[in-house]
Amino acid sequence: MNLTFGRERFRIERQDPPWKVVRAFPLADSGKLVHLHNVSGGVLAGDRLALRVEVEPNAAAQITTTGATRLYRHRPGALDSEQCTTLLVSDGARLEYLPDPVIPYAGSRHRQRTEIRLGQEATLLWWETFAPGRLAAGECFAFDRLRVETAVYVGSRPVLREDYVLDPLRRPLAAPVRMLGYSHMATFCAVQEGRPQGFWRNLEEQLTQIAVRRTSPGEAVWGASALVSDGILVRGMTVSGRFIYESLVEFWKAARLAVTGTEPLPPRKIY
Amino acid sequence: MTESALLRLLHLADSALPVGSTAHSFGLETLAEEAVVVPANLESFLRGYLEEAGVLEGNYVRRAWNGQSPQSLSEELSARKAARTARDASLKLGHRFAELVNGMVGFALIPNSLHYCIAFGCAGKAFEIPADTVVIAYLHQSIAGLVSAAQRLMPLGQTAAARLLWNLKPAMIQASHVEEVSCFNPYLELASMRHGSLETRLFIS
Repeated sequence: MNLTFGRERFRIERQDPPWKVVRAFPLADSGKLVHLHNVSGGVLAGDRLALRVEVEPNAAAQITTTGATRLYRHRPGALDSEQCTTLLVSDGARLEYLPDPVIPYAGSRHRQRTEIRLGQEATLLWWETFAPGRLAAGECFAFDRLRVETAVYVGSRPVLREDYVLDPLRRPLAAPVRMLGYSHMATFCAVQEGRPQGFWRNLEEQLTQIAVRRTSPGEAVWGASALVSDGILVRGMTVSGRFIYESLVEFWKAARLAVTGTEPLPPRKIY
Repeated sequence: MTESALLRLLHLADSALPVGSTAHSFGLETLAEEAVVVPANLESFLRGYLEEAGVLEGNYVRRAWNGQSPQSLSEELSARKAARTARDASLKLGHRFAELVNGMVGFALIPNSLHYCIAFGCAGKAFEIPADTVVIAYLHQSIAGLVSAAQRLMPLGQTAAARLLWNLKPAMIQASHVEEVSCFNPYLELASMRHGSLETRLFIS
């Protein structure tokens, strides 16, 4: 799937199943909102999905999904499923990429690669969330393997790099360095090229106040930290997916107001 | 390894080396304050630390020893350390370590803007200490520093601390040989991010 957001037009350069975009909705601030559908209902063993999004100079885009990304059980002989996402935010552009959670089903093996590149004065507001599995079916960290590789660059400078492999059988996620007793993990990131580090330290203080208020040990823990440059990261872990979005939306609102001067426009969907 | 290289390594990997490492707990203080880490599970916590942060830092020690650009490595590692306090601590220790080494040898051997593990790898290479040995020595002094911090944060006696450090040596060796850069320690990161919110603090990080 290749999508391009211009100032005037939104273009679907390429679209292959299982992904489908029906249309773009205009946003009140001149940006465009797009819902990504996965018409197959999930990612099957051996699937190779590639999403490339380009936001052209001074354009604005908001992307969300129509439901969780379900990672289905691995099939013997199949390759690990893979989703490769490339997000390019050109000079002066803004991208809000706010997908639903990733749910790795029992026995799934998946690799998620995300590369995000920002130009001058470009803005990124991005979150990702991971659930432990189909809790209603009694699955919790029953997947085989989940490999996550994330890289965010401002120009050629890396501002966030994460590479990890979750292998619950070999390395228990309940360890105190990993997830303790928490089951869900959320990451929110706001990045804007050109801001001084003092700006991010001030935003860190502001978001930390929200994090402290939203932390209730044993139920949810949140924290915020300025990145090495040009951005801020919020991390949260909870014992349920129910309240994650309420918290993420509050962080998103505060960060968006700080970096763009305007309140966010929530996607047309129900959390 | 020559006798001279061995003596230099013992000197640089001594937890008493005056680089300021005793002022940092890298999030352990938050975990101790919340009783998430107590003497009974400290060894298990440190094993987890070695499997994640230990593997990551050991990898950067080795890459620095192998001659990759230390500045580029440091920039990359900064992006991998999402928690500012832990990132700043690592850079401060690297700065102090480089200043100390440069002062001892009498010239600017190591840039003073590197993460500690990268500066350590550069020093190991310069003093002709084998790479495997440098990585393991770095991990050993890291864990010794955390055990020392734990002794100040919880009721952990000297004998128990020494036994713990002794028991962890196989885990250090194992962590030193992992070549893949992989690190998943979000709860420890959150502990670092939340450290500033503790009412009283013994440590900077």
